[in-house]
Amino acid sequence: MKRQLEKYAGKLIADGVADASRMAVLAKDDRILEVGCPEVLRLGRAVLERLNVVSLVVAAPSLPLVDVLFGRLSPQASAIVPLDTETRTFLHDIPVVRRDQFSVEQPDRLVELLGQRKGVLVEGVGIMTTGSVTVELGYINYCSIYHALFIKILLDFLQGKPPTLKEIESLHPLWKRLQTPIPELIDDLREVRLDAHEDILSAMELAGRRTVELQLVDSFFGNISCRKGARQYISQTGASLDELSGCIDIVADDNSSTAGITASSELIAHRAIYQQTGCVTILHGHPKFSVILSLLCEETDCRIEDCWRECQRVRYFCGTPIVAGEVGAGGIAKKVPPVIGKTGTAIVYGHGVFATGTRDFAGPLGALIRLENDCRREYLRLLQDRVTDSSASLLMAQTPA
Amino acid sequence: MNGWCGRLLAVDLSSDRIWVEPLKEELLQTYLGGRGLGVRLLRDSYHLDPFAPEIPLVFAVGPLCGTPAPTAARLAVVSRSPLTGTIYDCSAGGRFAWRLKSAGFDALRITGRSLTPKVLAITPQGGELLPAPELWGQPIGETVRVLSARGSVAAIGPAGENRVLFGNIMMGEGNAVGRGGLGALMGAKQLKAITVDGDRRCDVADRPRFDQARKDIMRLFRASPVIFGDLGIAEYGTPALVDLMAQRRMAPTENFRKTVFSRSGQYSGPAIRKAYQPKKDGCYGCPIQCKKSTPEGVPLPEYETVSHFGALNGVDDLRSIVQSNTICNQLGMDTISAAVTLAAWGELRGEFLHTEEVAPLLRDIAFRRGDGDLLAQGSARLAAHKGQPDLSMSVKGLELPAYDPRGAYGMALAYCTSNRGGCHLRAYPISHEILRKPVATDRFSFAGKARIIKIAEDTNATIDSLVACKFSFFGASLEEYGELLSATTGCEYDPQHLKSIGERIYLTERFYNQQNGFTAAADQLPERFFVEPGSSGEGIEVPPIDRLRFAEELEKYYRMRGLTSEGRFVDADFLEHQP
Repeated sequence: MKRQLEKYAGKLIADGVADASRMAVLAKDDRILEVGCPEVLRLGRAVLERLNVVSLVVAAPSLPLVDVLFGRLSPQASAIVPLDTETRTFLHDIPVVRRDQFSVEQPDRLVELLGQRKGVLVEGVGIMTTGSVTVELGYINYCSIYHALFIKILLDFLQGKPPTLKEIESLHPLWKRLQTPIPELIDDLREVRLDAHEDILSAMELAGRRTVELQLVDSFFGNISCRKGARQYISQTGASLDELSGCIDIVADDNSSTAGITASSELIAHRAIYQQTGCVTILHGHPKFSVILSLLCEETDCRIEDCWRECQRVRYFCGTPIVAGEVGAGGIAKKVPPVIGKTGTAIVYGHGVFATGTRDFAGPLGALIRLENDCRREYLRLLQDRVTDSSASLLMAQTPA
Repeated sequence: MNGWCGRLLAVDLSSDRIWVEPLKEELLQTYLGGRGLGVRLLRDSYHLDPFAPEIPLVFAVGPLCGTPAPTAARLAVVSRSPLTGTIYDCSAGGRFAWRLKSAGFDALRITGRSLTPKVLAITPQGGELLPAPELWGQPIGETVRVLSARGSVAAIGPAGENRVLFGNIMMGEGNAVGRGGLGALMGAKQLKAITVDGDRRCDVADRPRFDQARKDIMRLFRASPVIFGDLGIAEYGTPALVDLMAQRRMAPTENFRKTVFSRSGQYSGPAIRKAYQPKKDGCYGCPIQCKKSTPEGVPLPEYETVSHFGALNGVDDLRSIVQSNTICNQLGMDTISAAVTLAAWGELRGEFLHTEEVAPLLRDIAFRRGDGDLLAQGSARLAAHKGQPDLSMSVKGLELPAYDPRGAYGMALAYCTSNRGGCHLRAYPISHEILRKPVATDRFSFAGKARIIKIAEDTNATIDSLVACKFSFFGASLEEYGELLSATTGCEYDPQHLKSIGERIYLTERFYNQQNGFTAAADQLPERFFVEPGSSGEGIEVPPIDRLRFAEELEKYYRMRGLTSEGRFVDADFLEHQP
């Protein structure tokens, strides 16, 4: 279990979602095991001791997103409602806890809220999440909340109150990172032929790992598949895209075996895409700026409340279709296949991107990267239009040419 | 009071007396319903012999029953098992639970013993005992047919009448109150059947909050490949697991001597679909509809049943397996215990049963004829009688289901810590060790499993008290069900609170067992699993379980439960401190 703690503490840092100097990961075996910095550990221990769960992650995000959030929240707000599909599905609303509501000596409010929800946003601390089964689950919940927070704040910059100079300054590392487009590291994927069983597995593992390394997914989720004859190789549900070895199911088109019951929840969507497009590979990720732009809807006279599920429109960004649809049997399988054929990519509202390839994984991964780079540029352009001159100059000075 | 009726129907078969007792709101809020309420109601009688006339047989619904909460139209039946001697509960769906709640009762408590066979007929006005000599000896189908005009039916078959120790109570729709022999207990009371009808509406305290929670749950169901995936249980029923267990090399075969049966494809989910073109079926109001039946309405077997009447007995004939299932359902016997007992019998006599021997022997068990009389006592008594107790694949006398513990170490531990004996559903580690929900764990590792099992047991004790179906939790969690419960009752429940309720229920059961003589020696797997490997191959090694590592994790588990290293309670007055 100690190894698990170290593994996921390392992943939080490698993913770029946690500040290494302000984080702790703890787990309960027959005693509490922990890694992290002493100050955060004290709080973590005080909370975990009182919860009937396996693990707890406490960390300040690498970007000061929690500080920005609390600066924008109304004093009455008790929770935020995530806008991205995954977090909305699996975590619902996320409670917020203010600085004056807890201390290491009196963590009752944190314990109470973590007894209700999988994670909370804590002023002055960051994100706290629990894992009911494993350390990994605490890590996944942390990454989901980080993802939700990122999407919510950056969307709010465009749709709500424009960002202040202070907010722009505080997110300086982000703007700086956006100056460099995500590199198209795909050439090695072109070299792998998808003929032999072992080659297909290797190609999927490599493409999955690269997708995570390029941060085109939140935590390690997303899914990947390859069609070979009347069968489909597809990542298993909950599989780490960067650790796919032993986590790929082979599913026959005719359902002659149900061993693939552990396949990704998007198996239905992948199957329908293969049937309707004749493609050979599919990659699905959750690139943040593609998700943010998908949520920017200019419709003003619309009665639909559950846009994630009920919207029937097809919108476009740079020629890429955007459709609604929820996870699994929730509609993606119906709405994506009819629109993905022309461009080889489709964005699902508030969720992520499906990309197809006709011969290898270089195609879909390259498409995912290019789309995300386009979305980043468009996001910055839209943001520049909303900020004051001094903020804009700061932002513009660091905007990629 | 929302969510509960606050009423218990009490029946004393010895005196033919029926009356209504109030149930205090505080008690209901503390124990919820179902398993929790039933266990609490047994506090003064858990020590009684299972066949003593005074022992109560409790049917308890939950606070969500009667609402549109997904998969919650269920009840728990609770008493002391004649098979295991442990406190015993079993959750069952169908329509009976919903009707009982609609009749205005949270629970039904039956005590005493009738001198002649009876049927208990329940309506919102109360209950009535009807003579039923003509039904005694009848199979389930005929009994249900005769009584169906009176509403939903729960009945025993000849197996229960003849005190087969794994006799079931069968719901009219084909659902079973199975495993621990509560049908035999009902038979000992000379109660052939219970009918119930009602039309009371169940109000919800906060409808918008309820609707939101229900929406959240349905979204999670749709996101779960196990539930609504192309290859999931809504499509194929639980036999969807046949191929998976074969691939994972953990399908118990030939009385657990092997873990792969090369011909399991003959009775897999797709094979059943091809042979029977089944229709979807299921419990009242359930969106999943995981049960499958023939177009004529005959229930088709579940995973455990096909695997145990198949691989465990070396049988590959699907028609024979379906016939075995039908015989058990009609005669009112538990399919898992029946099949494991047959497999033990096969190994004891040195030859597993031929396909054509199975059906006659099942009938002999139900009617206690010939060898069937001995087999009717279950595999543990059978193997002990034959001088080879190690050949009973059971824990605490309850036969093991179709997940070989050498292929999933959390399952190995959970079989032993289960308060009702070798059961997969108490902690259900198959969910994460095999089905990857909510996350995957390493099935060949004990690391962290004690804590996982402990939390899951607490959680599932709550689920069994709500009463919801375990399959819901391949998608949803107590977070969403806590919302449903809060919205229904108007009382606030969150997952942490609910798990503490579950923990109390679990500990109460364990205390009852301890007082009835169970010690750590009963928390053990059959020797086979520590000394014989499973069937390794295709890159999967299935060694025997490491005894030392198993013992270490079990000891950790005891510590986490606040028990001594011998698994005993420190506090001898534990019950006195419970509400």
